[in-house]
Amino acid sequence: MIPSVNLKPLHWHPYIAPVEVEEATPAQLDAMKVTPSNKKISEYVRTLAHDPDSYVARTVLFNAIMYVDGGLDRADRELGALGASIVNGCKYCAVVHARRHAQLAESDAVVSAIYFNRADVLGERDAAIYRFARRLSVTPSEASVEDMATLRAVGMNDQEIIDLIHAIAIFGWANRLMHVLGHADLHK
Amino acid sequence: MSDAIDHAVGLNAEDALYGTRRLRPEFVDGAEQCRISVLAPNDDQGLAPDVRLALAQRMAQLNNDAALQQDYQTQLAALQPSEALLALAAGAADLPEPLATIARHADLITQQPMHATEQHIRLLEQAGLSNPQIVALSELIAFINFQTRVAAGLRLLRSA
Repeated sequence: MIPSVNLKPLHWHPYIAPVEVEEATPAQLDAMKVTPSNKKISEYVRTLAHDPDSYVARTVLFNAIMYVDGGLDRADRELGALGASIVNGCKYCAVVHARRHAQLAESDAVVSAIYFNRADVLGERDAAIYRFARRLSVTPSEASVEDMATLRAVGMNDQEIIDLIHAIAIFGWANRLMHVLGHADLHK
Repeated sequence: MSDAIDHAVGLNAEDALYGTRRLRPEFVDGAEQCRISVLAPNDDQGLAPDVRLALAQRMAQLNNDAALQQDYQTQLAALQPSEALLALAAGAADLPEPLATIARHADLITQQPMHATEQHIRLLEQAGLSNPQIVALSELIAFINFQTRVAAGLRLLRSA
């Protein structure tokens, strides 16, 4: 019996000074969605607002990949995100997306198994997704035709696999921002 | 209309996967908008398009993506790059500053992002990069690692 993992939310702290709302350019204010009723912007958003064009473009794509209707189950997208975040060493993203997986799956069995290094006890479908996420995330990718055949064998169609590829790949991006531009701990 | 990912994967309009990709127009359009935002942005923050393309070529090579490496090499060649940028693109370590520091950072974050620390950001600052440049560089590095994974995944999906 694997115990339940206790994943406390982490707080993220940037290594560079974020944009100050009072000093922001019009493009930065627009990117941060600053309005008279919304002046409290997170440090994460204010850090990335240093380059507003890429922040806006990536946020649109990220939200589509993680939240768009239909296709791959949202919990499976979170499992792809978690596999990528563990390989890439982004503790912040890993905790956020492990917690989301547990909420969506209404069980922490999968994320507990992963955090206690017992991926061997995962069910067939979770194991196939997690293994593919890990192998696609290393540089260069180690994902194989056999990994793809395993995803098909557990019942995933091409559209669901495309959704999964994107969920893993967008964390190849997000992890390289969160873990590179700052660090996470339990303190506010 | 074909995009950079179709080219990288070798998809054309007759392929079934070309159509399946387009069941998610927000992924196709979103990835293209992102590509423009990191490789040809309106405000390049002083990181010129030729530097960005040279880094993109270098990181595509680290990801063993011959098609994207070739694509970025062709785009870079059209801009008549300097010898230093050609060396950066080809993976050289012996480079003038700040390219040497930028190249070491791009290599580390592409290959071993788990080993990134605050010190690596301080090195970029010491090489003269501003905060907007550090963020823009980070987004470029991260995008190429996104794009190469989408391409790698789609190639496997087509062949499996």
